[in-house]
Amino acid sequence: MVRSTYEKRVARQLLLILSPSLLLLLAFVIYPAVYSVYLSFTNEALTGAAALNPRFVGLRNYSRLLHDAKFWNSLLVTFFFVVGSAIIGQFVLGLISAILLRRNLAFKQLFSSIILLPNAAPEVVAGFMWISMLAGGENATLSRIVMFFGMTPTDWLQTFPLTMIIVVNTWRGIATAMILLTAGLSTIPSEVYEAARMDGANPSQIFRRITLPLMMPTILLYMLISAVSTIAVFGLVYALTRGGPGGATEVISIYIYNQSFTAFQLGYGAAVAVVALAISLVLGIAYVRAMKVQL
Amino acid sequence: MNRTVLVGLCAITLGAFATLAQAETIRIANHGQAGINAMKSTVARIEKKYGITVEVVEYPSPDKDYMTKLLTELGAGNAPDIFSAPTTAYVADMVAAGYLAPITAEFKAWDGYANFYDVAKQLAVSPDGETYVMPFMLGIQEIYFRRDVLDKAGISTEQPKDWADLLARAAEIKEKTGAYGLLFPAGVSWGTGAFDEGFQHLLVGSKTPQLATEDGKLDLTGEGVKDVFGVYKELIDKDLMPTQPLLGPEPWVIPKYQMFPEGRLAATTCGSWCYIFDWGRESKNPIPDVEKAVGTWTIPGQTGGQYVLANLAAPWGVNSKAENLELAKKVLMEIGSVETQVSYAAQIGNIPASKAAAQDPEFQKLTELLPIHAAAENGVYLKQAAGFATVAEGVARATEALLRKETDAAGAQAILVDYAREILGEEAVK
Repeated sequence: MVRSTYEKRVARQLLLILSPSLLLLLAFVIYPAVYSVYLSFTNEALTGAAALNPRFVGLRNYSRLLHDAKFWNSLLVTFFFVVGSAIIGQFVLGLISAILLRRNLAFKQLFSSIILLPNAAPEVVAGFMWISMLAGGENATLSRIVMFFGMTPTDWLQTFPLTMIIVVNTWRGIATAMILLTAGLSTIPSEVYEAARMDGANPSQIFRRITLPLMMPTILLYMLISAVSTIAVFGLVYALTRGGPGGATEVISIYIYNQSFTAFQLGYGAAVAVVALAISLVLGIAYVRAMKVQL
Repeated sequence: MNRTVLVGLCAITLGAFATLAQAETIRIANHGQAGINAMKSTVARIEKKYGITVEVVEYPSPDKDYMTKLLTELGAGNAPDIFSAPTTAYVADMVAAGYLAPITAEFKAWDGYANFYDVAKQLAVSPDGETYVMPFMLGIQEIYFRRDVLDKAGISTEQPKDWADLLARAAEIKEKTGAYGLLFPAGVSWGTGAFDEGFQHLLVGSKTPQLATEDGKLDLTGEGVKDVFGVYKELIDKDLMPTQPLLGPEPWVIPKYQMFPEGRLAATTCGSWCYIFDWGRESKNPIPDVEKAVGTWTIPGQTGGQYVLANLAAPWGVNSKAENLELAKKVLMEIGSVETQVSYAAQIGNIPASKAAAQDPEFQKLTELLPIHAAAENGVYLKQAAGFATVAEGVARATEALLRKETDAAGAQAILVDYAREILGEEAVK
């Protein structure tokens, strides 16, 4: 089929309009990603002899990964972190908040402000704020609360480090979950609920049989965004624990940073980053397929 | 029209002359307010002497963050002309990376060279025999103990004879006062301090006192390494050393700035700066009459002897890619002057590497540092090798496992060896 001159002109114009974005994507997303893949096949380092003469090492970094107990530990920690904070914590609390905000609650504005507030504080500031609340000793906020109930205070970030970073990340992510799920809830026509009520459905049945199924595309979209962005969380965990104690909170982003900028092994760090990217891609594909099935 | 062109040409010519007439600029990396203050008079002196502009580029303060930024810039080829490394441990690796320009000839020809302590000169020599850094300040650490607390409890304040004596003293302190008996920095959060401020001080008095072999490899499997971890293990298991604060993000704050001044910790390793900044006249939580209330022990050897381990404190070097290498080297020699050393001593509390500092009236005012400066004459040191920064991180990880009671001395040594092999490769570790 021969395209008309008009169509060709429109295509050229579209390309022209999109070219700045394409160039930016190429420069700041595609090129660094491709370069990271290249780095992962070298022994490039920030210091030592490898910084002067980096060598191509083939799959050595990847084979090292397979035998690196700390890498597997970081994957396991990341799994618990994503499941605990994104899949369970943020989703459940975000959904509850979204449902509550659809009702005519007293202090609705105040409630939504409180939910949105965590996003107003920069990651590192939020991290330091939580450190002061979770620190050891009798003066820290949480210790004071548990002492009020006659319990023994502890250094929460040392005793329950993974649980604490899950709690903090949940606190920070509820707002995003709430906004997305509110949008999802608003797409369900009120007539459907009315019909269900007329048929005698109770609130639990309405939630399980109507709300959840009709919201499934939004939920899956949220799960995709949330899981991938939680895998990439760095600043909050770095400010809170720096991956410690003893690797208990060394999520994969912290592990990549530690390998690249504490051990100065850029090649190995890039290999871990490529694996993290692959995991995110697999997750993304799985969710997109699930969404297609739902749609 | 012609007139406009003429005016334009004149403006361009004038602009070009103005650019040419501008003073040459040397960029210096510095971090931490005290370090920046210490260099102020030196910067002014250099600008005046050479007719150049010295641009001081401020870097992040914590050593780890500073090194990350500096090494990234060095790798990218846009780092300042002159910079310092936080400790000796980084130097050999920076040399291997080609970041530092050799200064052997200039340093030896410099008139200040003869006055430097031998230990400083030797610490500055890299494994390839060349000198790459100006070893102008020394970091000297000892064990600082609460003399008043020990006297009150009737505990001897004599210099401990060996490790067993030191550990027995720590146990006696705990038993008679309830205070923690001894602290050696440990754990990942303390960074290179676990190695620089603790581990290596015991190591030099152990059965295997060096880590670098003749062929430039690292020998981490020595008996001494395991025995040093054994000292940590005993301190931790017998609850003679505070462990919980060391697992937090700023591990030095509680033990050094709260527990020691309050007498809840009776002895700790500390540097020469502690009398001034940690508990002395510049401290936020000073110990009254600190020089009487707090005494010092040198670190005893495993079976006897006393060791004053010297380290280079913030050794400065010249970027091998500096635009004007010759000028940068001249500026580096100025940084090595006694005046700058004394300024650093006053601001940071490190020890001048030049014997001539002892005659400087300003240094003589720093009475807390004078005896430590004199003791540097007998300083011992660890021979440097590429990979020391990795060893420092490995020691931090190994001591963290000890703090968490996850391993014993042999296990801690295995953590160190495994980490070094993993990062440096099998060929670099014996």
